[in-house]
Amino acid sequence: MASTARGASPDLRRARRSEALAGYAMIALPLFLFLVLQIGTVFYAVWISLWRWNVRSGPELFKGLGNYATALADPVFQRAVQNTIYYAVVWVPLTMAIGLFLAIIVNQKVRGQAFFRGAYYLPAIASSAAITVLWIFIVAPDGLFNSVRAVLPFDPLMTLFGYGPNQDWMGDETTALDSVIILNAWTTSATFMLFYLASLQSISGTVYEAAAIDGANAWQTFTKITFPLLRPGHYFVATVAVIGALQLFDQVAIAGGSAGAPNNALMTVVLYLYNAAFTQFNFGYAAAVGVILFVVIFAATLVQRRLFGGAPSW
Amino acid sequence: MVSEEPATPTLPSLAAVRSGESAQGIPVARSRWPRRLAYAFLIGYAILMFTPFAWSLITSFKTLPDSVTLNIIPDPFTTDAYRYLFTELDPPLPRLFLNSAIIAGAVTLTNVVLGSIAGYAFARLHFRFREVLFLLVLASLMIPDQLRLVPVYLILNTLGLTKGVAQYGGVILVLAISATSIFLMRQYFLSIPREIEEAARIDGAGYFSTFWRVMLPLAGPALAAVAILQFQGTWNGYFWPYVILQDPNQYTVPVALSFFRLAGGFLTNWPPLMAMVVLATIPILVLYLFFQRYFVEGIAASGVKA
Repeated sequence: MASTARGASPDLRRARRSEALAGYAMIALPLFLFLVLQIGTVFYAVWISLWRWNVRSGPELFKGLGNYATALADPVFQRAVQNTIYYAVVWVPLTMAIGLFLAIIVNQKVRGQAFFRGAYYLPAIASSAAITVLWIFIVAPDGLFNSVRAVLPFDPLMTLFGYGPNQDWMGDETTALDSVIILNAWTTSATFMLFYLASLQSISGTVYEAAAIDGANAWQTFTKITFPLLRPGHYFVATVAVIGALQLFDQVAIAGGSAGAPNNALMTVVLYLYNAAFTQFNFGYAAAVGVILFVVIFAATLVQRRLFGGAPSW
Repeated sequence: MVSEEPATPTLPSLAAVRSGESAQGIPVARSRWPRRLAYAFLIGYAILMFTPFAWSLITSFKTLPDSVTLNIIPDPFTTDAYRYLFTELDPPLPRLFLNSAIIAGAVTLTNVVLGSIAGYAFARLHFRFREVLFLLVLASLMIPDQLRLVPVYLILNTLGLTKGVAQYGGVILVLAISATSIFLMRQYFLSIPREIEEAARIDGAGYFSTFWRVMLPLAGPALAAVAILQFQGTWNGYFWPYVILQDPNQYTVPVALSFFRLAGGFLTNWPPLMAMVVLATIPILVLYLFFQRYFVEGIAASGVKA
């Protein structure tokens, strides 16, 4: 802009300057908030993480990378990392698959298409707190899930896997995290369905016509055309999913409290961070955990960008 | 955006079935089955989606012993759970809803106002570093809230926004403007033909009045999408209210719900818990029923990075 303005008449230059001033004025407040509360906090967090930091008086003792070393050596933190990775590895593909499947189903020309889309998105509109409490009730020892499987002939199969008729899905440390995975797959697949729908509709109909002329069946059409052409959609959904998975907090905090009960089965990196900050008031340490999380999320995003390539511009 | 009907491409199998022809143009009777199967799945899954919500509603009218049975009709039918919520809670239930409404309302307002003004500037006005600054805004989407937790809390603490009624201000300030709001508004303004604006400019209108009188009235759908996304997101929000609101009198509904669950006596007292789930969800459900289009389009548009 500036180079073209240089040779212009004074009038035009004045007009351009006033336009620029108007532009800066219009973005000033949001930009200030972004600089202070978003971008700035990254640097502030790194700074805090190098100290033993008192909530009231600020920095107390310079620890260098000491907080990081302590975190990496703590068995509870290791457990939190392990749980978070397990959650991400199972939940992300599961939820993406369900979301894609739902998107393809509701994208068909069927009667009541709008109704089905509306109904399928329903689980995503409730708050995480409400849906988690509801889920805890459903999978409680005497809850709906156990009652229904007692009525339906599922029990022998469940017993085979070692689950009694009154299995406490959320309270048993072997099933607690899997219960949270299913809860979040259920609710978030609805959102992914919408992302995939938008992506599906960007695929030109002529591609399908060509496939139909070549005599491709539905499965071939899906594996050879739809799935590969959804690449930008996969990339976006996978990125959002991994970032979300690594930040798992609401559901585990509501189900297991700040202790990650039962027996750290629901301890995640973010819950660990929250505890460091607000039950131990160890702010420097909490900041270090936050920086570790940020680095991991950033690295995961870069890896995905590499894997899927051709990333949409953000 | 998710557009309705005509432009929607479909998989050929079902599209062909619909017209009664196979891909080769030969009518085949057996291909009615995939269609029936699809309907069976569609309906079955819809029922599965409704069941948990229906179950919470049914349970909220039950007594505690009845709540762990499979009775579909409460036996006996009772509104005790709701009475319990309205009389026994401290802080009282209306206060919790007021807290949620204040925070969600304020955050919606700031996002609509700041988002539309900044979105317009990023879409239409020329100034140096525009693209860099816009990227800076979008970069904030990469920063996890949890990394910000400690620094943001310390900043709010310094500003005195972590005590008493000022805690509202703390939550509102943190959520005041999201990159998504600016992004959605910018994309919409980019789609409005330039001629409309230029006509106003020739008439001598200033930049702000062009925005206010000409562009903003045209941006209704985008404003609605931003407002609804923000209201829903903030009403349902958990992390920031949970962290910043230390005084129970300032709790929002979701935060209160999670604390009541862990509080003694409430742990497995299902009817009142389910009644609270129902009440917490109703405002958003009503919003969803009336403005479903904006939910769907807003979410989809925030996913399609144009």
